[in-house]
Amino acid sequence: MLDEALRLEDIYLSTSELSGTLFSVPRAVSYFENIRSSESNADYQLIAGANLRLKLGETICIGGPSGKGKSAILRMIAGLARPLKGHIYYFGEYIPAERLDALEIAKRNVGYVLQNAALISNLRVADNIALPLHYHKMGSDEEISKKVNMAMDLMRVRNFANMFPHELSVGMQKRVAIARSWAMDPKLLLMDEPTAGLDNYNRRNLLPLIDNMRTMFKTSIIIVTHDLMIAKDLDCNLVFLHKKKLTEPHSFDYWLHSDSEISKDQFRDLQSISPNT
Amino acid sequence: MTPIGRLFHSIGIFILKRRIGQLIALFFRTVASLFDKSHNFKSDARNIIMQTYFTGVEIFIPLFIVATLFGTVVIINVLMRLDALGFSNNIGSLMVVVIIRELSPILTAFLIAGRSGSSLTTYIGGMVIDSEVDALATMGINPIRYLVMPSVIGGTIATIIMNIIFSASAIGAGFIVIKGIIYLTSILHNLPIHVSLNLSNLQISWDYLSTEILKALTKWDFFLAIIKPLVFGIIITVNACYQALNIKRDIRQVPKATSRSVITSFLYIVFADVALSLFYFISYMNTLSTII
Repeated sequence: MLDEALRLEDIYLSTSELSGTLFSVPRAVSYFENIRSSESNADYQLIAGANLRLKLGETICIGGPSGKGKSAILRMIAGLARPLKGHIYYFGEYIPAERLDALEIAKRNVGYVLQNAALISNLRVADNIALPLHYHKMGSDEEISKKVNMAMDLMRVRNFANMFPHELSVGMQKRVAIARSWAMDPKLLLMDEPTAGLDNYNRRNLLPLIDNMRTMFKTSIIIVTHDLMIAKDLDCNLVFLHKKKLTEPHSFDYWLHSDSEISKDQFRDLQSISPNT
Repeated sequence: MTPIGRLFHSIGIFILKRRIGQLIALFFRTVASLFDKSHNFKSDARNIIMQTYFTGVEIFIPLFIVATLFGTVVIINVLMRLDALGFSNNIGSLMVVVIIRELSPILTAFLIAGRSGSSLTTYIGGMVIDSEVDALATMGINPIRYLVMPSVIGGTIATIIMNIIFSASAIGAGFIVIKGIIYLTSILHNLPIHVSLNLSNLQISWDYLSTEILKALTKWDFFLAIIKPLVFGIIITVNACYQALNIKRDIRQVPKATSRSVITSFLYIVFADVALSLFYFISYMNTLSTII
């Protein structure tokens, strides 16, 4: 289908896939066929049979209790962890398991903002943002520096352009990381806890930026967050990771007023302060 | 899959499951990454020069000291033993065998493995722990190209240069140190200098030593003076990067990986040295057959 950005079909993911990098680890051609049986190592399974469909330009928030594999799903979509079983489609294109790695997926303009920002610690802020642009030769030097300045202006980190990442606070590092992803013009952006560590002022600045990206550049965005109010502010659908599966996407208000178990767990505080209930 | 395909597939998986297979695979991926689409000569050259500087220049002083002292020891022993045995016209060939062929590549490689190999493992290992390598990969930057390739090329260039410097300073500076020792002993024992020279069998001149060594050098020595440090440099850097990239997400694994990188580098270097010595054996057999 042409209008979809991402489709997950019947995904199984185990915790053992999350350790280490994927480099110099061999991968069999028939990786998907001879999977260890899914029932035998049920304890190690984070996700069992998850499905998700994301349209182009759509924004989705993934919520759920911590430690249940929300970030693992993002890592898997970004190609840093392999699913045990299942199919992932990027922009309608199925990538077989043996080619499913981060470099292959990054070619399809998928950006990923890591939870701990993960800036390259021996490069200054401006160089950090310019690094992928220079590597992929996205324009001449002036174009790149213009783009870097624009990204820094958007995330309000222009004043810190000549500082090293360790001189910045966690929230500032996160803003630089978002600027770095933004400068790459991603078509699908994965954000892991974008508002954690940000103060209210910067949070309010970040949300219009995300809104801008999806309206102006038609970026599809997946946000993993504990901050469920993002879904309300961005007016996007919420998905919960519940019992190792992803639920159907529904709006914030639906979840707020629904009678399901998830709503009771996650929306208890919000329900009590909400004037509608 | 056809049966033949399955056979090759299982052989490939068998090799790739072993550490040595993964090392070789990493080396080939490093070479392949040179021909990536997104090559940027300027930044690559800068990274390679930085790595060469880091590996080569900063190790110069310890390497120079080690080379000089080892050269002194070898020259003293060679001169005294050979004179006692009456083979004093073989000094040059023995020096070539001991210093240029064996001691210099091995000790250079050990010093570089201990210093640059270990620091490379901690550097890349720290990046793995902080998930900077993951971030690079998700930005479409191949970590093998961005991190491993400059280290391998820079480290190898530095090993080759340092090997030549080691040989030169072992012979040259070693000779100067010997002259200094003779001078000192003659002062200490209150002897005229020519007497002490005659007594200690060390009355060599630089002319004599250098011509003897130049006479003894063969084309194999020049060839292997490049090949040996080339192989050792590739072994050290690829092994260091391999150990670093395979660190699980646990900070305690970094020192373990570092020591493993140094020790396994030592092992592989000695194995490779034995394998490369077969070249000399072949050339020796060739000369033997021509004589017969």
